[in-house]
Amino acid sequence: MHRAQLAMLTSFFALALMFPLVAPYVALASEILIFALLAMSYDLVLGYGGMLSFGHAAFFGIGAYTTGILLIRVFPSVPVALLGAVCVSSLAAAFVGYASIRRHGIYFTMVTLAFAQMFYFIAFKWTGLTGGDDGLQGVPRPNIGPIDLHPEINLYYFILALVIVSMFVIVRVVHSPMGTALQALRENRNRAMSVGYNVDKFKLVAFVISGCFAGLAGGLYALLLNMVPLGSLHWTTSGEVVVMNITGGMATLFGPVIGAVSIILLRDTISNYTDAWSLFMGLIFMIAVFGFRDGIAGFFQKKIIPRASEILRRAFPRKR
Amino acid sequence: MNLQFVLMQLFNGLILGSLYVLLALGLSIIFGMLGIINFAHGAFFMLGAYAAYTITAYVIPDFWLALVCVPVLMAIFGAFCEMVLFRRLYELPSLYIMLLTFGLMLVLQDAVRLLFGSMGVPFSTPKSLTGMVNLGFMYYPSYRLFLIVVTSLTACAVWLFLSKTKLGCIIRAGTDNPKMLEALGIDISKTMTLVVGLGAGLAGLAGVLAAPIQNVRPLMGMDLLVDCFVVVVIGGMGSLGGSVVGGLIVGQIIAIGVMVWPPMANTLIYFFMAAFLLVRPRGLFGREAFHE
Repeated sequence: MHRAQLAMLTSFFALALMFPLVAPYVALASEILIFALLAMSYDLVLGYGGMLSFGHAAFFGIGAYTTGILLIRVFPSVPVALLGAVCVSSLAAAFVGYASIRRHGIYFTMVTLAFAQMFYFIAFKWTGLTGGDDGLQGVPRPNIGPIDLHPEINLYYFILALVIVSMFVIVRVVHSPMGTALQALRENRNRAMSVGYNVDKFKLVAFVISGCFAGLAGGLYALLLNMVPLGSLHWTTSGEVVVMNITGGMATLFGPVIGAVSIILLRDTISNYTDAWSLFMGLIFMIAVFGFRDGIAGFFQKKIIPRASEILRRAFPRKR
Repeated sequence: MNLQFVLMQLFNGLILGSLYVLLALGLSIIFGMLGIINFAHGAFFMLGAYAAYTITAYVIPDFWLALVCVPVLMAIFGAFCEMVLFRRLYELPSLYIMLLTFGLMLVLQDAVRLLFGSMGVPFSTPKSLTGMVNLGFMYYPSYRLFLIVVTSLTACAVWLFLSKTKLGCIIRAGTDNPKMLEALGIDISKTMTLVVGLGAGLAGLAGVLAAPIQNVRPLMGMDLLVDCFVVVVIGGMGSLGGSVVGGLIVGQIIAIGVMVWPPMANTLIYFFMAAFLLVRPRGLFGREAFHE
């Protein structure tokens, strides 16, 4: 590992550890972490797999509802509930992925959005199980052994631990042979096929892994809010995840994290003044598409880092 | 459940199907030419309904005027969007135009919500069409029959336009191979403007027609748009016949769903779509290797 990468990782961990002290309130810091994980999981699908899915909220919402329902009705244990969320979301992702990866490009986008709407309508109408429009209220936060999750700060560090482990796994997936194959078939589908890769299988596996981590993020979200809002399944949530990826920078893994941090902070700030958040999100979408296609991460890689190194090089010329 | 009720529901399904047909036609034409999903299509539909409301409530209280003006206005608006926004992104992967239309949809929806409120606005059926018509076997609201007639005429007109006129021929050629069309010396950018304008005009027409029978509210378009995705997935993109047949099928599925198990009526079409994808991944009339 390069020294620069090591420095970046260390500063990231330091920032994450100190974040609750800096953020306006601790729950916001936790929310940012959760959405960072969600955005990063989506990067596998959009950035590395080249699949524009508009149904990522489905797996997030399913994870949240599964956690909530398990905690309320079945067994008050956080690990069991989160494990359940991961399993159910992965299953849902396998189902949606199997049906939609049969279609490419634009059709894929439409089919994923339509399936996400299906889950949304089921949650909306099945009020006995999900609470319908009001969301699933009263999700408890039982202790895990000696750890009391009720103080927000404890929950924050619990979420941080899980998010760091997940990010580590996602990074490993991207740099695994499967991850490189995935990028190869994103770049040139036909060539990857002629080399002998089973394109659809790789895409499906990436889709399921992504859905699995989206489910984990959803489960943590249910714990954080003590409820599951119906909006977690809505297509606007999928849209937010897409915009986090675009503004942060696709296929960089840390880009979506930056995107999530900026979008959630911006949403929190703007909603103090006006309720027209989706107007602003639409504008951010359009600005990102027109002027900011490489995202914040790309901006740093292309503009800031070369310029900084140039300045450094001039300031400290190499001795001959 | 008597026969009267069943027939009534099937007719209601036909109404819903007609709206799907108008929207899916525009969606499909734009898709064929630009290779993108126009996420703003539902917002165009919603804008059409609100434009009709604005004209009838504030300018001249005449539904017929709105019926003529709004599609034209929406076509101009669509062409404007194409010239100002879409055109700058043709060189890039189509992903970016789709994201742009998604942002445009959010902006339009929220702007309308801020202007008119999220609860929606009242819109009454035009006076000359308020009664019921005796069809022999049942009475049916005359406005709804009118809607079916207008939609069928429009669908026929679009079909005639695309299959019999020179301009329609250019659009069909552009759908098959835009590069070849350009090589033959046809200004493709004008055709693109025309296509987006035509699609937006059709969406606007659907909006005016839907205004008296649906709630005129900011999110009316998005709900219908996702259903339209189901329509084009079932019918097959880039095929007019597919849009028409798919629209009618989905309308009937919802109508039957309302009769059988109302809470699941909207969910039923997604299950149908999933089953359909497994059997016929390209849809009913989808062509092989078309924008795939």
